[in-house]
Amino acid sequence: MMSLQSYYIVLFKSVSHAMRAEKILKNEKIPFKIIPVPKSISSECGVCIRFTPEYKEDIEAVFNGTVEYSDIRELN
Amino acid sequence: MNENIDARGLACPQPVVLAKKSLETSDTVIVIVDNETARENVKRLGEKSGCTVSIEDKENGTFTLTLSRTDAVQSPGDITSVPLSSAAGPNVFVISANTMGGGDDELGELLMKAFIHTIFDLDYLPDTLIFYNTGVKLAVKNSDVLDDLKQLEHDGVEILVCGTCANFFNIKDDIAVGIVSNMYDIAGTMSRAGRIVTP
Repeated sequence: MMSLQSYYIVLFKSVSHAMRAEKILKNEKIPFKIIPVPKSISSECGVCIRFTPEYKEDIEAVFNGTVEYSDIRELN
Repeated sequence: MNENIDARGLACPQPVVLAKKSLETSDTVIVIVDNETARENVKRLGEKSGCTVSIEDKENGTFTLTLSRTDAVQSPGDITSVPLSSAAGPNVFVISANTMGGGDDELGELLMKAFIHTIFDLDYLPDTLIFYNTGVKLAVKNSDVLDDLKQLEHDGVEILVCGTCANFFNIKDDIAVGIVSNMYDIAGTMSRAGRIVTP
């Protein structure tokens, strides 16, 4: 059930950026989930934001000028 | 059997992942890396896997590591997993706060969300998750981890939520997952546990 769903993740330069992003998305009521950065991407202990594809444009729009992120990529 | 791995240009943890995979089938693995972090990580993997490790520092900034398995040592298990064979009872995770670790609550809340999400990826799912004190705040209907907890419950993980605690925070009607439980069950489950994990 879970594996059929495709996801995107937003990667950040620091945990504090991820925290700010979390607040913004909560305010905007955009559904997302905080997850550890997948090991295939980095072995460092980081967190990223996972969301479903339909919110990609919304998220890019609300982050524009409010919080810096390093990448948005598809999770596979 | 020997195997050569050119791990130059690969980001961590790829060199280690590749070396580990090769060690499963080869007795000697030669790994070329181009940075010191990778050198140290591959070296550590070799030592952990019971290999003798020799390192050649090349002038062009690359390192050649030779990991040779000594005869007595079997293929390494997954270094990220710990066998539970010694545990004689249920595997119990106790979530005693809505934060992971003490110090900074905002950071702690973030870490706890990541921790709960990660439970799915563990080799050994907990048999029971117990929530008490501020931990019960994770089990309410607008919790950020509610989906994860519901899925865990669906997968057969028993979830006990401290009723006294939910009452204290005045969120008893908002508990949206698990069984609202009491000290008898919580203390009993903990005392019968084969092992207790507290994030």
